Amino acid sequence: MTLAQYARLIVRESRRSRGRIALFMGCIAVGVAAIVLVAGLSTSVSDGVRSEGRRLMAADLVVESRQPLPPELDTILASYSPGSVERADVREFVSVIVAPDAQSSLLAELKVVGSGYPFYGDLRLDPPQPLQQLLTSDTVVVAPEILARLNLKASDALRIGGADFRIAGTVIAEPDKLSITFTLGPRVFLSPDGLARTQLIGKGSRVEYRALVKLPQGSTAEDAQRLERMLGAGEPAEDSYRVRTFTEAQPQLRRSFDRVGRYLGLVGLLSLLVGGVGVAQVARAWLASRMDDIAILRCLGATPREVVNVYLAQVLLISLAASVVGALIGTLFHWLLPRWMPGLVPVDLVHPWQPEAMVRGVFLGIGVAVVFTLPLLIGLRRVPPVRVLRRDAEPLRSGWLAQGLAALLILSGVWGMAASQADDLEHGTWFTIGLVIAVLLLWLAATLVSRAARLLPRDAGGVRLRHGLAHLARPGAGTVGAIVAIGLGVTFVFATWLVERHLTDQLAAELPADAPSTFFLDVQPDQWPRIEQILKESGAEDIVSRPMVNARFAAIRGVPVAQLLEQQRKNPPPPPRHDPQRAERDDNRRGPERPRSRPRRWTLTRELRITYGDQLPRGNRIIAGTFPASPGIPNALSLEEDYANDLGVTVGDTVTLDVQGVPVELTVTSIRTIDWRTMGMNFFLFAEPGPLDNAPQVRLATVRLETADLPRIQAAIVSAFPNVTVIHVREVMEKVMAVLRNIGLGVRALGAFTIAAGIIVLGGTVAATQARRAREVALLKTIGMTRRDVLAVFAIEYALTGFVAAVVGLAAASLLAWATLTQLMDLDWSPKWSELLLAATITIALAIAAGLVASARALAARPAEVLRSE
Amino acid sequence: MDDYTPIIQTSGLTRRFKSGTKTITVLNDVSLTVNRGEFVSIMGKSGSGKSTLLALLAGLDRPSSGGVSIDGEAIERMSEDKLALLRRKKVGFVFQSFHLLGNFTALENVMLPVELLGQPKPRQRAAELLERVGLGGRGHHYPTQLSGGEQQRVALARAFAPDPAVLMADEPTGNLDGENGQIVLDMMLTLRRDHGTTLILVTHDPALAELSDRVIRLRDGRVVEAVSHPHPPDPTPAEAAR
Repeated sequence: MTLAQYARLIVRESRRSRGRIALFMGCIAVGVAAIVLVAGLSTSVSDGVRSEGRRLMAADLVVESRQPLPPELDTILASYSPGSVERADVREFVSVIVAPDAQSSLLAELKVVGSGYPFYGDLRLDPPQPLQQLLTSDTVVVAPEILARLNLKASDALRIGGADFRIAGTVIAEPDKLSITFTLGPRVFLSPDGLARTQLIGKGSRVEYRALVKLPQGSTAEDAQRLERMLGAGEPAEDSYRVRTFTEAQPQLRRSFDRVGRYLGLVGLLSLLVGGVGVAQVARAWLASRMDDIAILRCLGATPREVVNVYLAQVLLISLAASVVGALIGTLFHWLLPRWMPGLVPVDLVHPWQPEAMVRGVFLGIGVAVVFTLPLLIGLRRVPPVRVLRRDAEPLRSGWLAQGLAALLILSGVWGMAASQADDLEHGTWFTIGLVIAVLLLWLAATLVSRAARLLPRDAGGVRLRHGLAHLARPGAGTVGAIVAIGLGVTFVFATWLVERHLTDQLAAELPADAPSTFFLDVQPDQWPRIEQILKESGAEDIVSRPMVNARFAAIRGVPVAQLLEQQRKNPPPPPRHDPQRAERDDNRRGPERPRSRPRRWTLTRELRITYGDQLPRGNRIIAGTFPASPGIPNALSLEEDYANDLGVTVGDTVTLDVQGVPVELTVTSIRTIDWRTMGMNFFLFAEPGPLDNAPQVRLATVRLETADLPRIQAAIVSAFPNVTVIHVREVMEKVMAVLRNIGLGVRALGAFTIAAGIIVLGGTVAATQARRAREVALLKTIGMTRRDVLAVFAIEYALTGFVAAVVGLAAASLLAWATLTQLMDLDWSPKWSELLLAATITIALAIAAGLVASARALAARPAEVLRSE
Repeated sequence: MDDYTPIIQTSGLTRRFKSGTKTITVLNDVSLTVNRGEFVSIMGKSGSGKSTLLALLAGLDRPSSGGVSIDGEAIERMSEDKLALLRRKKVGFVFQSFHLLGNFTALENVMLPVELLGQPKPRQRAAELLERVGLGGRGHHYPTQLSGGEQQRVALARAFAPDPAVLMADEPTGNLDGENGQIVLDMMLTLRRDHGTTLILVTHDPALAELSDRVIRLRDGRVVEAVSHPHPPDPTPAEAAR
């Protein structure tokens, strides 16, 4: 046949199956939408960060450190290109700001900027004037949130670090800060002269120092990298600062979106695969109804290959149309998402139009449709033309070899798509294995139920139940496929929900009893007695305070750190234990500044916070050595287990600290584990009293306060001691939980695509048997059943389908959540029966609703019509 | 018109079906020859093997043993593709239950075999044939919108559209009332005469069989009687009606 003949045949063949085509399209479009949304979002963020790197850093290159930047920096910058490199200095830290009446106060993130900031991007202010004009030595520019929370207005006064400032304006948008950046408090801009008037610097505050560098006009990424190399090579204490060029802006954001993108990419694929099950069901029914016509076509001289081609081309065309529709829906969601969830997505980086993501979605959509229908289509070769004479001539059953090949085709198709979505062969393989196990379990359960329904005594439950069971038990009812599809959706959505619920519950539940409510940072030793007194007078409980000494490692087991670093540079060791989950946990525990690529190096060079005392905090458990150490050993040190492993030291080894220029040698006498869930003050390094008693230090304190008392106490302490930073743990925890809840919501929203696909599959399964159902309804009505009776019979069938899917799906979800929580996250697990019950009820209700909607036409049929057309 | 050269020949044609553990022989050692332009009726009770024989003659089914040749080509060993091409060129069908393609209009049903053959102007040819069966104005109707008699007339038009050498008809009037059956029959015989088509007709109706050149009777899968009418009935009923 020619192409034109094919085209005509395809058009004529498909035009009277609109309902089926709509279902087919629904199954594919839902999954494609999910995939395009995820792929688009992650490309969007990654591209946005790359293309807007300069804006996101407000510079071509940034040098950052936790200590003041060395003066050599200027020399290197000058040697790069004398006179044409501009530098602007930025300092950031948190501090409490107080309203003029001293009644209300607030933790804020302060940013001290020198002239030139920002080199790139828009700093939008109200009034719209340059920042340097608004900022003088006695003015500040603040986030609008501060005005609202302290009940102030522009030009009011504000007290920071013991000095008074006038609010000269508000900041509406900051180029190098994203909408989703986690912050401890709202922004305050301050001039360097203004900072000098406060008493905040030089008293142990943790300041982030940054030099923004602007290269001459027209400089490229290579130019920036050349300067990066110069800064790295020329500086002896290279690890005292880090350099990033604009190509590496927002590395955390990009990494996490990459990771989330890969994970959610698989979630999207799952909904597409669930849709694939539906496509197979719809196609099976569709092709079964075309058997007679296919036999006629064969009679008229169409070859088997031509027949297969006609239907394959239809599958391709329908899935192409469905995928395009899905891609457009995904793009629409991509456009809507930042509007719905501004806290979850960096609004200013999102560009919904992502052709690459759309192409990916379309290809996967067509791929799934073809993979799931090809085995059926190939079966069309075997439709015997003699069927025109003998209606009962069934297509010849394909042998085990053909069935095995079909299974292999589906499996390898799924595997390939999973690997491509995860961008990782191993993850794709695990996904496929997990999916196969879940499908097998669901299939087994569905088959068992279908069999059991056949064996049950049907007289027991009355005529409706009997019929409902009979429907479920009927061979070829398609029940198994529907149960597998819905079950997969239930498994996924409920598992993510359980994990998120457990996480937030544990965060919330483990806080109240005896966890501290408030942290006091940067307290000078001589300030502590007075602060302690204020706290006691205002009824604070569980007051704990510890000294904190800042230091660096000078040597490990007598080997100087510089020499260890040199060895590593020549011969980089593999990470001591390659366990990504663990590394990730460690990341989360130790804060974001720990790069994962070379943990040991960073362990050696980072600034240490070390405490000392004769009693370990609550929740610390010695697992090796003793605490306190036996009296003969001076300068004893206790290390946290993972930290000791990262350093590669154990009991008996020595470490030498550089405490602001003074070397102090300590001996490791014990290793301990820490229960971080106490939320108390904890240190990786805990020394015994003696060697550090006279080192420069600050104090940290934790207390338990009534939330209502906090503003008063905070204002009282900060007014007296402006350098003290007060952090209310509950507020921070609430922010963390809000982020977790947002992420959970996002994942579940995507999971909802999977459920939607499952429901469409059930609808498709029911609609596929429309003709037979209509005949049955006609017969049942003829023998005297009312419409209500028939409705009940059908509802029972769908309820049973939903019930089995729910039971198996929820069991699988619980297992998955249990494994994730207890095995991966070391958290506790407890089943939530009432919620399981609720989820089962919802699933069953959805199944009944979808089934009844899909059988509406059959239910409405009049007996005479159906029987006449027999 | 009758040149007495064979167009279909069978030798020892046998077809067995498996039913559980038993094997049923539906057609047993049938050897016959049909000449070009001949009109042959196949008669017999239900289950005597009539439809099975027709299916084997048309290459719709494969014999368990024995051979069939159409226009000199042995078909029992042909691939499915070759058989399909042979049917496309040389064999037309009319069935008891019409078997029109449900998604195609009447006109498209008739056009299809012409299109498959790649002959020119399929639409025009189909329209002409529909005109001849008296359905000139109904081409855009779907099969469900036509009566049984009309559907069978469309099927007739479709069968003659590619101008086949052989027309296989399986009780073409079996599902129609007397009047409609007669109309369809008249049209079929007229078309056959005009096209010079060989006709193999499976029927229960002795009166219809009387019109044929030869009657082959089957009983339990064997040919029990082959009656030739030395002089084809003349005039045909259609002509007599004019």
